[in-house]
Amino acid sequence: MDTGQLHIWLAAVANKDAGAFRSLYDASSPKLFGFALRILSKRELAEEVLQESFVNIWNNAGSYQPSLAAPMTWMTTIVRNRAFDLLRRLDHDVEIDADNFDMEVMNALEANDPTPIESLQLTQDAKALARCFARLEGLHRQAMALAFYHDLSHSEVAEQMKLPMGTVKTWIRRGLDKLRTCLSKLESA
Amino acid sequence: MNIQDKPDLQQKLAAEYVLGTLRGGARRRFETWLRSDRPLQQLVTQWQGNLLPMAEFSKAAQPSAGVWQALEKRLDLNRTQRANAVEDRWAFWRNLHEDLSFWRGLGMFSTAAALVLVSLLLSKQQVEPALPVGNYVATLSDDKAQPIAVVSGDTKRRQLVIRMVAAQHIAADKSLELWAVYKDGKVRSLGLVASQGIITLPMPEYMSEQATPLLAVTLEPKGGSGNPEKPTGPIVFKGSWLQT
Repeated sequence: MDTGQLHIWLAAVANKDAGAFRSLYDASSPKLFGFALRILSKRELAEEVLQESFVNIWNNAGSYQPSLAAPMTWMTTIVRNRAFDLLRRLDHDVEIDADNFDMEVMNALEANDPTPIESLQLTQDAKALARCFARLEGLHRQAMALAFYHDLSHSEVAEQMKLPMGTVKTWIRRGLDKLRTCLSKLESA
Repeated sequence: MNIQDKPDLQQKLAAEYVLGTLRGGARRRFETWLRSDRPLQQLVTQWQGNLLPMAEFSKAAQPSAGVWQALEKRLDLNRTQRANAVEDRWAFWRNLHEDLSFWRGLGMFSTAAALVLVSLLLSKQQVEPALPVGNYVATLSDDKAQPIAVVSGDTKRRQLVIRMVAAQHIAADKSLELWAVYKDGKVRSLGLVASQGIITLPMPEYMSEQATPLLAVTLEPKGGSGNPEKPTGPIVFKGSWLQT
Protein backbone atom coordinates (compact mmCIF):
# COMPACT_ATOMS: atom_id res chain seq x y z
CA MET A 1 0.00 0.00 0.00
CA ASP A 2 1.46 3.35 -1.07
CA THR A 3 1.42 5.81 1.83
CA GLY A 4 1.85 8.83 -0.47
CA GLN A 5 -1.25 7.81 -2.39
CA LEU A 6 -3.27 7.40 0.82
CA HIS A 7 -2.15 10.93 1.81
CA ILE A 8 -3.43 12.36 -1.45
CA TRP A 9 -6.81 10.64 -1.08
CA LEU A 10 -7.18 11.74 2.54
CA ALA A 11 -6.44 15.35 1.53
CA ALA A 12 -9.15 15.06 -1.12
CA VAL A 13 -11.61 13.48 1.34
CA ALA A 14 -11.05 16.52 3.58
CA ASN A 15 -12.48 18.49 0.63
CA LYS A 16 -15.50 16.17 0.58
CA ASP A 17 -14.42 14.39 -2.58
CA ALA A 18 -16.63 11.31 -2.82
CA GLY A 19 -14.51 9.72 -5.57
CA ALA A 20 -11.32 9.94 -3.51
CA PHE A 21 -13.29 8.54 -0.54
CA ARG A 22 -14.23 5.53 -2.65
CA SER A 23 -10.60 4.99 -3.69
CA LEU A 24 -9.47 5.28 -0.07
CA TYR A 25 -12.16 2.81 0.99
CA ASP A 26 -11.26 0.31 -1.73
CA ALA A 27 -7.55 0.45 -0.90
CA SER A 28 -7.76 0.29 2.89
CA SER A 29 -11.00 -1.48 3.82
CA PRO A 30 -9.78 -5.10 3.37
CA LYS A 31 -6.98 -4.52 5.91
CA LEU A 32 -9.17 -2.51 8.29
CA PHE A 33 -12.06 -4.97 8.01
CA GLY A 34 -9.71 -7.92 8.55
CA PHE A 35 -8.48 -6.23 11.72
CA ALA A 36 -12.01 -5.49 13.01
CA LEU A 37 -12.95 -9.09 12.25
CA ARG A 38 -10.07 -10.42 14.40
CA ILE A 39 -11.26 -8.23 17.28
CA LEU A 40 -14.98 -8.95 17.03
CA SER A 41 -14.92 -12.37 15.30
CA LYS A 42 -18.41 -11.81 13.78
CA ARG A 43 -18.78 -10.34 10.29
CA GLU A 44 -21.89 -8.28 11.05
CA LEU A 45 -20.23 -6.65 14.09
CA ALA A 46 -17.03 -5.95 12.15
CA GLU A 47 -19.05 -4.45 9.28
CA GLU A 48 -20.93 -2.20 11.70
CA VAL A 49 -17.59 -0.98 13.06
CA LEU A 50 -16.15 -0.51 9.56
CA GLN A 51 -19.14 1.59 8.53
CA GLU A 52 -18.98 3.78 11.67
CA SER A 53 -15.23 4.18 11.22
CA PHE A 54 -15.56 5.40 7.64
CA VAL A 55 -18.29 7.86 8.65
CA ASN A 56 -15.75 9.13 11.18
CA ILE A 57 -12.98 9.25 8.53
CA TRP A 58 -15.24 11.22 6.15
CA ASN A 59 -16.19 13.71 8.87
CA ASN A 60 -12.73 14.13 10.37
CA ALA A 61 -10.33 13.89 7.41
CA GLY A 62 -9.92 17.68 7.69
CA SER A 63 -8.35 17.36 11.12
CA TYR A 64 -5.94 14.61 10.07
CA GLN A 65 -2.34 15.80 10.56
CA PRO A 66 0.18 14.05 8.31
CA SER A 67 3.08 15.13 10.52
CA LEU A 68 1.64 13.17 13.46
CA ALA A 69 0.55 9.86 11.99
CA ALA A 70 0.73 7.84 8.79
CA PRO A 71 -2.69 7.53 7.09
CA MET A 72 -3.04 3.82 7.97
CA THR A 73 -2.06 4.50 11.60
CA TRP A 74 -4.69 7.23 11.82
CA MET A 75 -7.43 5.09 10.28
CA THR A 76 -6.44 2.01 12.30
CA THR A 77 -6.70 4.05 15.52
CA ILE A 78 -10.27 4.98 14.59
CA VAL A 79 -11.22 1.37 13.79
CA ARG A 80 -9.59 0.00 16.95
CA ASN A 81 -11.32 2.55 19.21
CA ARG A 82 -14.71 1.83 17.60
CA ALA A 83 -14.20 -1.93 17.81
CA PHE A 84 -13.15 -1.76 21.47
CA ASP A 85 -16.17 0.44 22.28
CA LEU A 86 -18.44 -2.22 20.82
CA LEU A 87 -16.48 -4.99 22.54
CA ARG A 88 -17.04 -3.31 25.90
CA ARG A 89 -20.74 -2.84 25.18
CA LEU A 90 -20.91 -6.58 24.48
CA ASP A 91 -19.09 -7.12 27.77
CA HIS A 92 -16.26 -8.87 25.90
CA ASP A 93 -18.60 -11.72 25.06
CA VAL A 94 -16.75 -12.77 21.89
CA GLU A 95 -14.51 -15.65 20.98
CA ILE A 96 -10.79 -15.07 21.38
CA ASP A 97 -8.56 -16.80 18.92
CA ALA A 98 -4.87 -16.93 19.78
CA ASP A 99 -3.88 -16.78 16.09
CA ASN A 100 -4.27 -13.10 15.43
CA PHE A 101 -1.80 -12.93 12.57
CA ASP A 102 -2.28 -14.10 9.04
CA MET A 103 -0.53 -17.39 8.31
CA GLU A 104 1.66 -15.74 5.69
CA VAL A 105 2.79 -13.10 8.21
CA MET A 106 3.43 -15.77 10.87
CA ASN A 107 5.60 -17.75 8.46
CA ALA A 108 7.51 -14.64 7.47
CA LEU A 109 8.13 -13.79 11.15
CA GLU A 110 9.42 -17.29 11.82
CA ALA A 111 11.64 -17.44 8.72
CA ASN A 112 15.38 -17.14 9.13
CA ASP A 113 15.88 -14.56 6.40
CA PRO A 114 14.12 -11.21 5.83
CA THR A 115 12.98 -11.91 2.25
CA PRO A 116 9.45 -13.16 3.08
CA ILE A 117 8.74 -10.01 5.14
CA GLU A 118 9.70 -7.77 2.22
CA SER A 119 7.26 -9.54 -0.07
CA LEU A 120 4.23 -9.13 2.24
CA GLN A 121 1.46 -6.72 1.22
CA LEU A 122 2.11 -4.26 4.04
CA THR A 123 2.86 -0.55 4.47
CA GLN A 124 6.51 0.34 5.15
CA ASP A 125 5.64 0.98 8.82
CA ALA A 126 4.18 -2.51 9.17
CA LYS A 127 7.20 -4.07 7.46
CA ALA A 128 9.50 -2.29 9.92
CA LEU A 129 7.43 -3.63 12.80
CA ALA A 130 7.50 -7.13 11.28
CA ARG A 131 11.29 -7.03 10.98
CA CYS A 132 11.53 -6.18 14.70
CA PHE A 133 8.79 -8.63 15.70
CA ALA A 134 10.74 -11.38 13.98
CA ARG A 135 13.51 -10.90 16.56
CA LEU A 136 11.16 -11.48 19.51
CA GLU A 137 10.26 -14.86 20.91
CA GLY A 138 6.99 -16.27 19.62
CA LEU A 139 5.32 -16.34 23.03
CA HIS A 140 6.29 -12.73 23.75
CA ARG A 141 4.77 -11.73 20.41
CA GLN A 142 1.63 -13.66 21.24
CA ALA A 143 1.25 -11.94 24.62
CA MET A 144 1.51 -8.52 22.97
CA ALA A 145 -0.85 -9.43 20.15
CA LEU A 146 -3.49 -10.75 22.59
CA ALA A 147 -3.44 -7.46 24.51
CA PHE A 148 -3.41 -5.36 21.33
CA TYR A 149 -6.17 -7.20 19.48
CA HIS A 150 -8.53 -8.11 22.27
CA ASP A 151 -8.32 -5.25 24.75
CA LEU A 152 -6.95 -7.60 27.42
CA SER A 153 -5.24 -6.64 30.68
CA HIS A 154 -2.07 -8.37 31.93
CA SER A 155 -4.13 -10.77 34.02
CA GLU A 156 -6.51 -11.55 31.14
CA VAL A 157 -3.57 -12.26 28.82
CA ALA A 158 -2.10 -14.51 31.55
CA GLU A 159 -5.41 -16.36 31.81
CA GLN A 160 -5.58 -16.85 28.03
CA MET A 161 -2.02 -18.14 27.86
CA LYS A 162 -2.30 -20.15 31.10
CA LEU A 163 0.76 -18.46 32.54
CA PRO A 164 1.48 -16.55 35.77
CA MET A 165 0.68 -12.84 35.49
CA GLY A 166 4.21 -11.82 36.52
CA THR A 167 5.63 -13.71 33.55
CA VAL A 168 3.26 -12.04 31.10
CA LYS A 169 3.98 -8.60 32.55
CA THR A 170 7.72 -9.12 32.18
CA TRP A 171 7.42 -10.49 28.65
CA ILE A 172 5.30 -7.57 27.48
CA ARG A 173 7.58 -5.02 29.12
CA ARG A 174 10.70 -6.58 27.59
CA GLY A 175 8.99 -7.01 24.23
CA LEU A 176 8.05 -3.32 24.12
CA ASP A 177 11.60 -2.30 25.13
CA LYS A 178 13.13 -4.46 22.41
CA LEU A 179 10.69 -3.15 19.80
CA ARG A 180 11.55 0.43 20.63
CA THR A 181 15.30 -0.19 20.38
CA CYS A 182 14.91 -2.13 17.16
CA LEU A 183 12.56 0.38 15.48
CA SER A 184 14.73 3.37 16.35
CA LYS A 185 17.73 1.53 14.89
CA LEU A 186 15.82 0.89 11.68
CA GLU A 187 14.80 4.55 11.53
CA SER A 188 18.33 5.86 11.90
CA ALA A 189 19.76 3.26 9.52
CA MET B 1 3.86 11.30 41.48
CA ASN B 2 6.07 13.20 39.09
CA ILE B 3 7.04 11.33 35.94
CA GLN B 4 8.58 14.25 34.07
CA ASP B 5 12.15 13.44 35.09
CA LYS B 6 11.68 9.68 34.63
CA PRO B 7 12.09 9.02 30.90
CA ASP B 8 12.11 5.21 31.28
CA LEU B 9 8.84 5.26 33.17
CA GLN B 10 7.33 7.64 30.60
CA GLN B 11 8.29 5.24 27.82
CA LYS B 12 6.85 2.25 29.65
CA LEU B 13 3.57 4.00 30.50
CA ALA B 14 3.11 5.42 26.98
CA ALA B 15 3.79 2.01 25.41
CA GLU B 16 1.40 0.14 27.70
CA TYR B 17 -1.20 2.90 27.29
CA VAL B 18 -1.18 2.38 23.51
CA LEU B 19 -0.98 -1.42 23.77
CA GLY B 20 -3.94 -1.29 26.19
CA THR B 21 -2.42 -3.02 29.21
CA LEU B 22 -2.31 0.19 31.29
CA ARG B 23 -5.52 -0.12 33.29
CA GLY B 24 -7.72 1.38 35.99
CA GLY B 25 -6.35 4.18 38.15
CA ALA B 26 -2.96 4.12 36.44
CA ARG B 27 -4.62 4.69 33.04
CA ARG B 28 -6.78 7.53 34.35
CA ARG B 29 -3.76 9.23 35.97
CA PHE B 30 -1.83 8.85 32.72
CA GLU B 31 -4.69 10.42 30.75
CA THR B 32 -4.73 13.38 33.14
CA TRP B 33 -0.99 13.98 32.56
CA LEU B 34 -1.47 13.49 28.85
CA ARG B 35 -3.89 16.41 28.59
CA SER B 36 -1.24 18.99 29.51
CA ASP B 37 2.09 17.28 28.83
CA ARG B 38 3.27 17.91 25.25
CA PRO B 39 6.33 15.59 25.33
CA LEU B 40 4.16 12.81 26.74
CA GLN B 41 1.66 13.36 23.89
CA GLN B 42 4.53 13.01 21.41
CA LEU B 43 5.61 9.79 23.08
CA VAL B 44 2.08 8.38 22.72
CA THR B 45 2.03 9.45 19.05
CA GLN B 46 5.34 7.63 18.54
CA TRP B 47 4.04 4.48 20.18
CA GLN B 48 0.90 4.61 18.06
CA GLY B 49 3.16 4.77 15.02
CA ASN B 50 5.14 1.82 16.39
CA LEU B 51 2.30 -0.50 17.41
CA LEU B 52 -0.79 0.30 15.31
CA PRO B 53 0.74 -1.27 12.17
CA MET B 54 0.32 -4.59 14.04
CA ALA B 55 -3.28 -4.38 12.79
CA GLU B 56 -1.99 -5.07 9.28
CA PHE B 57 -0.71 -8.49 10.40
CA SER B 58 -4.24 -9.86 10.50
CA LYS B 59 -5.62 -11.55 7.42
CA ALA B 60 -7.25 -9.10 5.04
CA ALA B 61 -10.96 -9.69 4.45
CA GLN B 62 -13.44 -8.23 1.99
CA PRO B 63 -16.45 -6.53 3.64
CA SER B 64 -19.79 -7.09 1.91
CA ALA B 65 -20.91 -4.55 -0.70
CA GLY B 66 -23.63 -3.43 1.73
CA VAL B 67 -21.12 -1.50 3.82
CA TRP B 68 -20.23 0.85 0.99
CA GLN B 69 -23.88 1.17 -0.04
CA ALA B 70 -24.80 2.15 3.51
CA LEU B 71 -22.00 4.74 3.55
CA GLU B 72 -23.17 6.20 0.23
CA LYS B 73 -26.64 6.58 1.62
CA ARG B 74 -25.72 7.89 5.07
CA LEU B 75 -23.23 10.46 3.80
CA ASP B 76 -25.23 11.32 0.67
CA LEU B 77 -22.13 10.68 -1.42
CA ASN B 78 -23.90 10.65 -4.78
CA ARG B 79 -25.06 14.21 -4.29
CA THR B 80 -21.58 15.27 -3.15
CA GLN B 81 -20.18 13.65 -6.27
CA ARG B 82 -22.56 15.59 -8.51
CA ALA B 83 -21.71 18.84 -6.73
CA ASN B 84 -18.03 18.18 -7.23
CA ALA B 85 -18.47 17.39 -10.89
CA VAL B 86 -19.10 21.09 -11.55
CA GLU B 87 -15.57 22.00 -10.54
CA ASP B 88 -13.76 18.74 -10.84
CA ARG B 89 -10.39 19.69 -9.48
CA TRP B 90 -9.85 16.18 -8.22
CA ALA B 91 -10.73 13.99 -11.13
CA PHE B 92 -7.09 13.88 -12.11
CA TRP B 93 -5.82 12.69 -8.73
CA ARG B 94 -8.59 10.18 -8.46
CA ASN B 95 -7.88 8.56 -11.75
CA LEU B 96 -4.16 8.38 -11.42
CA HIS B 97 -4.01 5.03 -9.70
CA GLU B 98 -6.16 3.50 -12.40
CA ASP B 99 -4.08 4.90 -15.18
CA LEU B 100 -1.84 1.90 -15.53
CA SER B 101 -1.93 1.78 -19.29
CA PHE B 102 0.00 5.02 -19.23
CA TRP B 103 2.98 3.31 -17.67
CA ARG B 104 3.23 0.86 -20.47
CA GLY B 105 3.04 3.70 -23.00
CA LEU B 106 5.79 5.73 -21.40
CA GLY B 107 8.53 3.45 -22.71
CA MET B 108 10.40 3.56 -19.43
CA PHE B 109 13.97 2.36 -19.17
CA SER B 110 14.32 -1.21 -18.05
CA THR B 111 14.57 -1.73 -14.30
CA ALA B 112 18.19 -2.78 -14.57
CA ALA B 113 19.16 0.33 -16.54
CA ALA B 114 17.32 2.54 -14.07
CA LEU B 115 19.11 0.90 -11.14
CA VAL B 116 22.49 1.51 -12.73
CA LEU B 117 21.57 5.18 -13.14
CA VAL B 118 20.45 5.44 -9.52
CA SER B 119 23.69 3.94 -8.25
CA LEU B 120 25.66 6.26 -10.53
CA LEU B 121 23.78 9.22 -9.12
CA LEU B 122 24.23 8.05 -5.55
CA SER B 123 27.96 7.45 -5.93
CA LYS B 124 28.32 10.88 -7.52
CA GLN B 125 26.46 12.51 -4.66
CA GLN B 126 28.80 11.00 -2.11
CA VAL B 127 31.69 13.15 -3.28
CA GLU B 128 29.56 16.29 -3.18
CA PRO B 129 29.40 18.30 0.06
CA ALA B 130 26.37 17.63 2.24
CA LEU B 131 23.41 19.95 1.68
CA PRO B 132 23.42 22.83 4.15
CA VAL B 133 20.65 22.95 6.75
CA GLY B 134 17.57 24.86 5.64
CA ASN B 135 17.53 23.37 2.16
CA TYR B 136 15.04 20.95 0.73
CA VAL B 137 15.10 17.73 -1.21
CA ALA B 138 12.64 15.28 -2.79
CA THR B 139 13.15 11.97 -4.54
CA LEU B 140 10.40 11.48 -7.09
CA SER B 141 9.50 7.85 -7.77
CA ASP B 142 7.12 6.12 -10.09
CA ASP B 143 4.28 3.80 -9.06
CA LYS B 144 6.77 0.95 -8.72
CA ALA B 145 8.83 2.96 -6.22
CA GLN B 146 11.55 3.35 -8.85
CA PRO B 147 13.37 6.69 -8.33
CA ILE B 148 13.07 8.83 -11.47
CA ALA B 149 14.22 12.30 -10.42
CA VAL B 150 15.85 14.12 -7.52
CA VAL B 151 14.74 17.69 -6.80
CA SER B 152 16.77 19.89 -4.47
CA GLY B 153 15.83 23.39 -3.30
CA ASP B 154 18.41 26.02 -2.44
CA THR B 155 16.68 28.57 -0.18
CA LYS B 156 19.52 31.15 -0.54
CA ARG B 157 19.62 31.18 -4.32
CA ARG B 158 15.88 30.52 -4.55
CA GLN B 159 16.58 27.79 -7.03
CA LEU B 160 15.24 24.31 -7.69
CA VAL B 161 17.57 21.80 -9.32
CA ILE B 162 15.87 18.83 -10.97
CA ARG B 163 18.09 15.88 -11.93
CA MET B 164 16.57 13.07 -13.90
CA VAL B 165 17.99 9.86 -12.49
CA ALA B 166 16.29 7.80 -15.16
CA ALA B 167 15.90 9.50 -18.52
CA GLN B 168 12.30 9.44 -19.76
CA HIS B 169 11.23 8.86 -23.34
CA ILE B 170 8.10 10.86 -23.95
CA ALA B 171 6.18 11.53 -27.12
CA ALA B 172 7.18 14.64 -29.11
CA ASP B 173 3.83 16.31 -28.43
CA LYS B 174 4.10 15.94 -24.63
CA SER B 175 5.86 17.80 -21.79
CA LEU B 176 6.61 16.93 -18.17
CA GLU B 177 5.38 19.50 -15.63
CA LEU B 178 6.40 19.78 -11.95
CA TRP B 179 3.77 20.66 -9.30
CA ALA B 180 3.74 21.53 -5.60
CA VAL B 181 0.82 19.74 -3.90
CA TYR B 182 -0.61 21.17 -0.67
CA LYS B 183 -2.31 19.41 2.20
CA ASP B 184 -5.62 21.04 1.32
CA GLY B 185 -5.39 19.57 -2.16
CA LYS B 186 -4.44 22.77 -4.00
CA VAL B 187 -1.66 22.46 -6.55
CA ARG B 188 0.67 25.02 -8.14
CA SER B 189 2.83 24.60 -11.21
CA LEU B 190 6.57 25.02 -10.72
CA GLY B 191 7.41 24.78 -14.41
CA LEU B 192 8.32 22.29 -17.09
CA VAL B 193 11.10 19.75 -16.57
CA ALA B 194 13.32 18.07 -19.13
CA SER B 195 12.97 14.36 -19.83
CA GLN B 196 16.66 13.85 -19.08
CA GLY B 197 19.68 15.65 -17.62
CA ILE B 198 19.60 18.49 -15.12
CA ILE B 199 17.54 21.66 -15.24
CA THR B 200 16.98 24.52 -12.81
CA LEU B 201 13.76 26.39 -12.05
CA PRO B 202 13.07 29.34 -9.76
CA MET B 203 12.02 28.29 -6.26
CA PRO B 204 8.93 30.25 -5.13
CA GLU B 205 9.02 31.56 -1.56
CA TYR B 206 5.96 29.57 -0.55
CA MET B 207 7.92 26.37 -0.93
CA SER B 208 9.91 27.13 2.22
CA GLU B 209 7.38 29.32 4.04
CA GLN B 210 4.74 26.68 4.46
CA ALA B 211 4.72 22.95 4.22
CA THR B 212 4.62 21.61 0.67
CA PRO B 213 3.99 17.97 1.48
CA LEU B 214 4.40 16.60 -2.00
CA LEU B 215 5.99 17.27 -5.37
CA ALA B 216 4.54 15.56 -8.41
CA VAL B 217 5.34 15.47 -12.12
CA THR B 218 2.51 15.08 -14.62
CA LEU B 219 2.48 14.29 -18.30
CA GLU B 220 0.98 17.28 -20.11
CA PRO B 221 0.46 18.45 -23.69
CA LYS B 222 3.53 20.12 -25.21
CA GLY B 223 4.15 23.39 -23.33
CA GLY B 224 2.34 22.35 -20.14
CA SER B 225 -1.18 22.26 -18.80
CA GLY B 226 -1.80 25.96 -19.50
CA ASN B 227 -3.40 26.47 -16.08
CA PRO B 228 -0.86 26.95 -13.24
CA GLU B 229 -3.37 25.62 -10.71
CA LYS B 230 -4.68 22.62 -12.59
CA PRO B 231 -2.85 19.71 -14.19
CA THR B 232 -4.61 17.86 -17.00
CA GLY B 233 -2.57 14.66 -17.29
CA PRO B 234 -1.70 11.74 -15.01
CA ILE B 235 0.99 11.83 -12.32
CA VAL B 236 4.06 9.97 -13.55
CA PHE B 237 6.27 10.35 -10.50
CA LYS B 238 6.03 11.99 -7.09
CA GLY B 239 7.76 12.30 -3.73
CA SER B 240 7.73 14.11 -0.38
CA TRP B 241 9.37 17.54 -0.11
CA LEU B 242 11.62 17.37 2.92
CA GLN B 243 13.76 19.88 4.77
CA THR B 244 17.37 18.70 5.08
